[in-house]
Amino acid sequence: MTSAAIQGVKRLFQKLKRPLLESLLAIIIGLIIGAILMAIFGYDPIAAYSALLIGSLGSFDGICESLANATPLMLTGLTFAIGMKSGYFNVGAEGQAYLGAIGAIMIGSTIHLPYGVHLAIATLFAMFMGALWSLPVSALKAWRGVHEVVSTIMLNWMALFFVRYLIEYHYYEPGRAERAMPVLPTARYQVLGASLTTVIFVAVAFILFAYFLLWRTTLGYELRLTGSNPEAARYIGINSTRVIFLNFFLGGLAAGLAGATQVLGRPPAWTIYKTLGNVINLGFDGIGAALIGRNHPIGIIFASILLGVLSYGARFMMYLGVDPDLTRAVNGVIIIALSLPELYRIIKRLIVGRRETE
Amino acid sequence: MRRNTSAITKTAAIIIAVIIIVAGIGGFLYWWVRLGPAAPRKIKIAVVSDIGGRGDLSFNDMAFKGGEEAERDFGVEMIELISKVEADYVPNLETAAKDPDVKLIVGVGFLLSDALVKVAMKYPDKNFAGIDTYAQAIVKDKYPDKYPLPNLMDIKFEEHKGSALVGAIGCLLAAYYNEKGGNYPYIGGVFGIEIPVLWKFEIGYKWGCDWALKWYEKKFGRKAPIIGEDSRYGTGPNWKDGMYCPPETPGECWYKGRVLWTYTGTFSDITKGYEAAKPMYAKGAIAVYNIAGPLGLGINRAVKEIAEAKGLEMGPPFWIGVDADQDWINPGFVIVSMIKRVDRGVYYATKLTIEGKFRDVVREYEGVMTLGIGTKILGIPMEGISASTLKDLDEFVKMGINAEKLTGKKVLPMPPEEIKAKVKKMRELVAPWIWEAAKELEEKIRKGEVEVPCVFTKEKIDYWRKILG
Repeated sequence: MTSAAIQGVKRLFQKLKRPLLESLLAIIIGLIIGAILMAIFGYDPIAAYSALLIGSLGSFDGICESLANATPLMLTGLTFAIGMKSGYFNVGAEGQAYLGAIGAIMIGSTIHLPYGVHLAIATLFAMFMGALWSLPVSALKAWRGVHEVVSTIMLNWMALFFVRYLIEYHYYEPGRAERAMPVLPTARYQVLGASLTTVIFVAVAFILFAYFLLWRTTLGYELRLTGSNPEAARYIGINSTRVIFLNFFLGGLAAGLAGATQVLGRPPAWTIYKTLGNVINLGFDGIGAALIGRNHPIGIIFASILLGVLSYGARFMMYLGVDPDLTRAVNGVIIIALSLPELYRIIKRLIVGRRETE
Repeated sequence: MRRNTSAITKTAAIIIAVIIIVAGIGGFLYWWVRLGPAAPRKIKIAVVSDIGGRGDLSFNDMAFKGGEEAERDFGVEMIELISKVEADYVPNLETAAKDPDVKLIVGVGFLLSDALVKVAMKYPDKNFAGIDTYAQAIVKDKYPDKYPLPNLMDIKFEEHKGSALVGAIGCLLAAYYNEKGGNYPYIGGVFGIEIPVLWKFEIGYKWGCDWALKWYEKKFGRKAPIIGEDSRYGTGPNWKDGMYCPPETPGECWYKGRVLWTYTGTFSDITKGYEAAKPMYAKGAIAVYNIAGPLGLGINRAVKEIAEAKGLEMGPPFWIGVDADQDWINPGFVIVSMIKRVDRGVYYATKLTIEGKFRDVVREYEGVMTLGIGTKILGIPMEGISASTLKDLDEFVKMGINAEKLTGKKVLPMPPEEIKAKVKKMRELVAPWIWEAAKELEEKIRKGEVEVPCVFTKEKIDYWRKILG
């Protein structure tokens, strides 16, 4: 029994050793390049990095805030990762998150329901709205062969203007005009500390659900096989239309939930601003999380936490006097370095795949 | 494969070792240097910007300018924290609040209201000020037993008075160009979403026009041509010589209906600004006041179209800027701007903090410090509203040059010297008595000889719209 467990741990370690080492190497390289950048501009890199780490992990509030930043990225990262599992380049999380956010407002701020029920319905409706926005992508891909990158990017823009319109003309807070109506107290997740709420548990649960679905069900197997070996998938008769719809729908649910986390689970505003500033870029940052996390649901959780730490900690570097733009550049370098291993693998696979088909 | 992995491991191990050594030495040096001569600790103030940070040529830039002036005059040190997204507000305010040397934290812009309430409650020994915020109103609403929060100050501006100044300038401008044979029966105003804050602008602007036309009548002994006399503005039992004499104000008549106004229902859709302004200019509005933020660019587009069609180098038509000095956006076509002196707000909040009077002011004025024309705080004059001058333009052009350096993008529409020369020429081209009248109105407001109606309730807005149109 124990030896089996030890064996299991050993095997897990063997499996994780390579990606962990790669990531470690990548983060070190990223940190060094960032340090060189800061040194060139005359800042003290060690002071800056220690400010970043102490600021974001040195206090309870810091940890909460970092996790709160990480929460939506886990989900938008999942959207991208699920897509990659079937070989789709789904960059639609951005727009679907907007839809999720406004979906949460539609139920959360206008309807009166008891606590719990209200929260659950608002969350589910938000996810549904996100998934709804994925349907055109699937339909265009399945029946017209439109590449998902094109359709998702277009739909992202449509989502932006559509949601802005909804806020401006239908859901704005009377007397304020700069934002939508905040959700009612019955539709808010419990605050755990700083701006972290229990919505993080919902996010993690959804990720575990996705993990289970992908690796423990026939459906998940079909999704993955379509990505890893499309020929085989076709040969054994997997319905590709179904895979497309299912994949993007799942991704949409995750992205919709990501939008909802910023409305139902993020004090103090509990709403979206008309600029969409508090949901904008979640989808794109999620791609980073997915790449760093090797497109694996569990990897994405840790990758998102890392991104959360970086984005929350950056202000402490800024506080030391490091130029805000340089702070962003340093963060960017670290993120790029971390995404390189997975990016390399994706590109390699694309090239090899192309060669084989030729 | 195996060899490959171990090679990676080895390289990684070496790199890690090097990092640790370098970090160790670096850290030691850092502490060593830091522990050297201890400089006397300066009092710090922190300015947390709204989204965009420096380079917006508006609230953020003005707030930082105020902070720099406070650095110069009071020897404090300003820390800048830039908000990238709305979720940054609370963490940025908190980061500043945690620094023991920081005594005052300023949040720039009404979007920070909620965040200020939250952080101010958590750090009761720090002073918090919000520019144009309504944080104390939130406290009153949500935590009535704590209202007003002793360490939180909303800094507000008397927009109605500033709007009166530019309204007066607008209507005198029409009178002046009508004297020269023009046909300008109106001025215009493009508003955003109809919220009570905007009513202050609306009535102030209309009232300013009325005051100016009466001033003209007194000064020249006749009614202002066209805009002062025509009967197109209304007829009926209460109308006399183009003026409205309602039973509500016995013995007093008003220049009703001189202002064309539209609430566009948006603060972001620039096209709506264009669509609202275009018919106003077509009806003969000499200037249109922008009270809808970015929609000013839409108004500008309408002006540009007319200028191009007629080959104009300078207005009329004009438009009127808001919040910041917007005269530089289209030199020669922005006659004046109504400026909220955000810089003064930061400056005075710092001054009060240093003198230890911050909390007295909060107590005295229920958490709201109003800066305007002729406003006094604890008996000391502190103002925060003005119509733009050439000196303001210099400052904003300087900001524009900095913004260009900062972002690498072109901000100013033409070389700085050209902007200044053109605006100066525009101002000299119109009659000097227009500027004198504005000065006189400002003085009268300051001395309390006239009172600009301050409207923020439904009843009052209905009342004043009945009188002024």
